[in-house]
Amino acid sequence: MPAQSPARAKTDLEIDRRTHTIRLTRVFDASRAQIFEAWTQPVQVTCWWDAAGGPLTACEIDLRPGGAFKFVTKSHPEMPFAGTYREIAPPDRLVFEALGATGRVVLRDVVGKTHMTVEIECRSAEHLDQYLKSGVDVGTSQTLDNLVTYARRRLVAVS
Amino acid sequence: MYNTSANRLSSAFHALSDPTRRAILARLVSGEATVSELMEPFELSQPTISKHLKVLESAGLIEGGRDAQRRPRRLAPLAMKDIADWIEPFRQQWESRFKNLDAHLANIKKREK
Repeated sequence: MPAQSPARAKTDLEIDRRTHTIRLTRVFDASRAQIFEAWTQPVQVTCWWDAAGGPLTACEIDLRPGGAFKFVTKSHPEMPFAGTYREIAPPDRLVFEALGATGRVVLRDVVGKTHMTVEIECRSAEHLDQYLKSGVDVGTSQTLDNLVTYARRRLVAVS
Repeated sequence: MYNTSANRLSSAFHALSDPTRRAILARLVSGEATVSELMEPFELSQPTISKHLKVLESAGLIEGGRDAQRRPRRLAPLAMKDIADWIEPFRQQWESRFKNLDAHLANIKKREK
């Protein structure tokens, strides 16, 4: 019985510090092929990628190993999600490199639904910390500073 | 005990990476518990529980006394909150993104019908 995310949240987030990997999982009421297409067709990615809700202002996809992609949001045009595809294996596996990390989308059939895992494997623990902070709005780095301050306070208390 | 605060942070994440330890933390949210009180729901041996508690303790996530057998353990609230606050914006970003994807897939289904 592992600890759960808040009840309203449907997305589970796990951080594996040993392999510097962030793992997001969620179940969708759609087939693997439908979800795979939603990840790989520009006209579809445009509809859902921006967490803020609006359509992308640009979406370029060259779907082949070594091919490039670039997703540009309206709110952060200076920070596109850009990278290169590594493995394209419909309907269950898509591997790419972006922002210095390896991304893996794995789709599994679960009685009429699809279990989706998105793994983001970073190069190091430092890179993972940096990745968690990147692309997320202000307030986050402040919290990290608080955490570091807290760790220092403990350090003093222990020594 | 900790060389740097980065190490301290790293050990906290290491402690959180194990499902049994996350479950122990979830149990401690509802109040403090002794080793024997923790043994029962998890069906784990006393040395195993003690080992997990030691990891959580040195990561600063829980507090407890020196007597490993009897002193109850409790959450170190500030540490847990800070870690949750830090990860939450990232999780929310992906939660929104997946919610959009969910709605998009529902639209596609409707169109195909």
